[in-house]
Amino acid sequence: MVQAKGITKTYNKGSGASVQALREVNLEIQQGEFVAIMGASGSGKSTLMNILGCLDKPSGGQLLLDGQEVSQMDDQALAKVRNQKIGFVFQSFNLMPRANALENVELPLIYSDKADITRLSREALESVGLKDRIHHNPGELSGGQQQRVAIARAIVNQPEIIFADEPTGNLDTRSSYEIIALFQQLNQQGKTVVLVTHEPDIAEYAKRIIKITDGSIVSDQANASPKDAALALDQIPKQEVRNENK
Amino acid sequence: MRTNRTISTALKCLRRYRLRSFLMMIGIVVGIAALTMVVSAGLGSQKRVMDRVKVFGVSAIMIHAGGGEVTQPSGGTPTNTLTVDDVDAIAHEVPDVVGVAPMGQKGRVEIKYLDRTATTNIFGVTPSWVPVWDWDVTEGDFITDEDMEGLNRVCVLGTTVYKALFDSTADPVGERIMIGSVAFEVKGLMKSKGTSPRGGDMDNRIFVPLSTFMKRVDNVDYISGVRVRFGGSGSIEQKAEEVRTVLRSRHQLATGQPDDFSLITPTEIVKVAKKVAGTFNVLLIIVSAISLIAGGVVIANLMLLSVNERRREIGLRMAVGASSSDIRQQFLAEAVVITLIGGVFGLLLGALGIGLMRQLSKMPLVISWASVLMGLVFSGAVGIVAGYQPAKRAARVQPVEALRG
Ligand SMILES: Nc1ncnc2c1ncn2[C@@H]1O[C@H](COP(=O)(O)OP(=O)(O)OP(=O)(O)O)[C@@H](O)[C@H]1O
Ligand SMILES: [Mg+2]
Repeated sequence: MVQAKGITKTYNKGSGASVQALREVNLEIQQGEFVAIMGASGSGKSTLMNILGCLDKPSGGQLLLDGQEVSQMDDQALAKVRNQKIGFVFQSFNLMPRANALENVELPLIYSDKADITRLSREALESVGLKDRIHHNPGELSGGQQQRVAIARAIVNQPEIIFADEPTGNLDTRSSYEIIALFQQLNQQGKTVVLVTHEPDIAEYAKRIIKITDGSIVSDQANASPKDAALALDQIPKQEVRNENK
Repeated sequence: MRTNRTISTALKCLRRYRLRSFLMMIGIVVGIAALTMVVSAGLGSQKRVMDRVKVFGVSAIMIHAGGGEVTQPSGGTPTNTLTVDDVDAIAHEVPDVVGVAPMGQKGRVEIKYLDRTATTNIFGVTPSWVPVWDWDVTEGDFITDEDMEGLNRVCVLGTTVYKALFDSTADPVGERIMIGSVAFEVKGLMKSKGTSPRGGDMDNRIFVPLSTFMKRVDNVDYISGVRVRFGGSGSIEQKAEEVRTVLRSRHQLATGQPDDFSLITPTEIVKVAKKVAGTFNVLLIIVSAISLIAGGVVIANLMLLSVNERRREIGLRMAVGASSSDIRQQFLAEAVVITLIGGVFGLLLGALGIGLMRQLSKMPLVISWASVLMGLVFSGAVGIVAGYQPAKRAARVQPVEALRG
């Protein structure tokens, strides 16, 4: 469903020097995959993900989404694609601080044609286990809970693919596994998940691992036996659990 | 995005930043309140002008003895230029004249009834006064032809004079009052007429027969003015010109010599009164327009601040499906919604101010739907103008940059 052909991204700096963030990236992601993108800091992971997620435009190459050429689309059409086909999860959550969980999750629906916004948002929050936190503001939630609100927001409009850029980067171990377990569960329900991480043990929960160095894919391998985050969660001692019942 | 969602989103965001929204609103509230009050005062004085013109009548003109401007009759020139014969000539020579009401006038005359005294204006008039001015008695009778012929010492009181000399329930008809040192019998009481086109109290008058006035009160052979009422169709200005021609030839005025009388037409009264009210209003409208512009500048600045502060939110909205135009519309809607709310509060505050001014002064104030509509249109326009640039800037935010870090 996602096809990248010879994607390049060049940033021009003011002094005339330019940074090649991506060099000729070829990549194909099928429906139902769970892909982890790994690489050192500055290797181009976020750049690639933003381009695949239609949030940024490549300098060169071709991007096809469900067979459609993305570079041909105007701002309006791209916004529609981001709204209906793609869900984003960020390292720093990116929740609106002055809005409660429900209002944050409603955000994609506001820009859709769907009615019954509140009910759909409530259901999305229930599905990530935050039924009793819907009227809390982000400041009243733990990091793990905030990221779960962000995931509810990413899935509320039923996208086909979820892009997560280091979603566990700001979380403690137990919360991290909870988030990964949630992604695995979503993947089992048929959603495509693309997850950026630089932690090797997180990548082991994916079905396919892509490694990037200096803007190029250096390895792309299937993970024959992905681990189960739900099992890993059971092994973690309860003391590490943050108090989530405030 | 649908319009109602744009508006509800704008309302939500305004509620999330209460203090800023409040600050944005203040300027508009003050500006619209000021504008409402100014417009209402303007409409009030316009109404006053029209009321006075109605009192004056639209089918009659006034001729005063002595030349000069309307605002300053006679202007120092002699006022013994108009005679009863002039009046007869107008009545017979000018077409379409349906009535003439000559008058002699003497101001600041002491009058007395029992132990009460007052100062008033004495008018010597003929029976034609009633049809020409469309102004009759409420009690008793007006001056008759017999009174004219017999030089009778009878008078009819204006309501202001009546109130000054008599108790409110007393019947003045048949009583004798002193005008100067001469006793007059009260024949009747005039209906109240209110304020004259020049702003004087038309009820502070005593009417006596013109013949009596000329022989016994003022001892003159000239009159001070005449009101001429026209019938038929055609422009009143043109008819006034014919009167002018007749009078100039009777007074043997050569071309180039100024009139020795002054002619007042209804159009002229409107002109003068509007000039006085107009300069006052233009000034106030400028002041309230400036306060509205200042309010708009405050909104534009706070909106720009808001866009900068909410870059991350804007980037996020774009990431989840907002197009640039959705974002532009949302910020424009925020500006317009806040100015419209400010406009409504401004109108309420203005209405409150008008109520207060009515209590404190006699200033005529009129609230009209037109001024309410104008207030709302103005505040909405300020919102669009002030929100345009910030909204454009918001629409240009690059989501990737806004969301980084
Ligand atoms: N807007 C920009 N202007 C200039 N250079 C940029 C810009 N964005 C990214 N880069 C450069 O592109 C390269 C790739 O950046 P990218 O953010 O994709 O790395 P990353 O793999 O996500 O790193 P990290 O793990 O630290 O998030 C880096 O060298 C970065 O400095
Ligand atoms: Mg990154």
